[in-house]
Amino acid sequence: MKMMDCRDVLANLSCYVDGDGSTELRNALEGHMAHCRPCRVVFDTTEKTLRIVLDVEPFGVPLSVSARLYTKLEKLLAEESPVS
Amino acid sequence: MIDQRKSGEPGPEEDDFALADRVLKGERRAFEALVRRHERRVFRVTLAVLGNFEDAEEAMQDAFVKAYRNLGQFRRESRFTTWLTRIAINEALQKRESRKNYVSLDESRETEREFIPRRTETWRADPEKLYGKQELRQIVETAIHGLPAIYREAFVLRDVEEMSAEEAAEAIGITVGALKSRLLRARLMMRETLAASLEERPTFGKKILHTAEGIGISVALRVMRAVRG
Repeated sequence: MKMMDCRDVLANLSCYVDGDGSTELRNALEGHMAHCRPCRVVFDTTEKTLRIVLDVEPFGVPLSVSARLYTKLEKLLAEESPVS
Repeated sequence: MIDQRKSGEPGPEEDDFALADRVLKGERRAFEALVRRHERRVFRVTLAVLGNFEDAEEAMQDAFVKAYRNLGQFRRESRFTTWLTRIAINEALQKRESRKNYVSLDESRETEREFIPRRTETWRADPEKLYGKQELRQIVETAIHGLPAIYREAFVLRDVEEMSAEEAAEAIGITVGALKSRLLRARLMMRETLAASLEERPTFGKKILHTAEGIGISVALRVMRAVRG
């Protein structure tokens, strides 16, 4: 595989963080990052970003929103059956 | 042992198909269990498409009503959650399209130009200790909210709801290639925003060195020599 520059490496970021891509590609990315600190940081911190996003479980349903949904469904369930 | 579950309450291993069967056989209350299980996802995806709570709530309600009415058409070729998510996204997209100028304005921001990461300092360890979970969630939510809609929906489906690229692309109605390119940009934008809160503050010397990595070491040496006088 030809030597990758930072632009090629960045284009393959998703493959890397998702664990996709061939061994050859991963080796080429690792090879670049071994001597390119900015790319290494971008890859590491993108992985951290995704981990943090999952950990904090963003956007719960506000209680009032949930309550209004159940009120609406209560009425629907009482009046209609699903069309089968 | 007496089953103390309330009517409509799913057993721990009861899957979505079984709950849908109960609804279709006339046990309508079982639908509430499906709603409880999936309301968070449906709310997140409608919010991702629409970007505001009021519209997201309305689209969520419409999606569950439609899912209930059309439950008999659920063919079980996909997971229930994929089917439901597709309904939710359709409701949200319809709502978005009905807003004058909304889509055209938003999509005009999609550009072929690459997104170049600017912040390349390492991050501080233990972000949860640094901020606490609540504050960190706020930072993440603000960052997601700040993404243009086409990037936000790709990011939420893939990296919050953990759908596959194929499922997410199908749900939004774009190609897998387009989904992946939006996702890459969304991830880089999210990283950049979080970096503002989480990166280490570099020392002056480090700043110069890191700048040097971008512009070439020979220029950097000249800058350092000049700074030292």
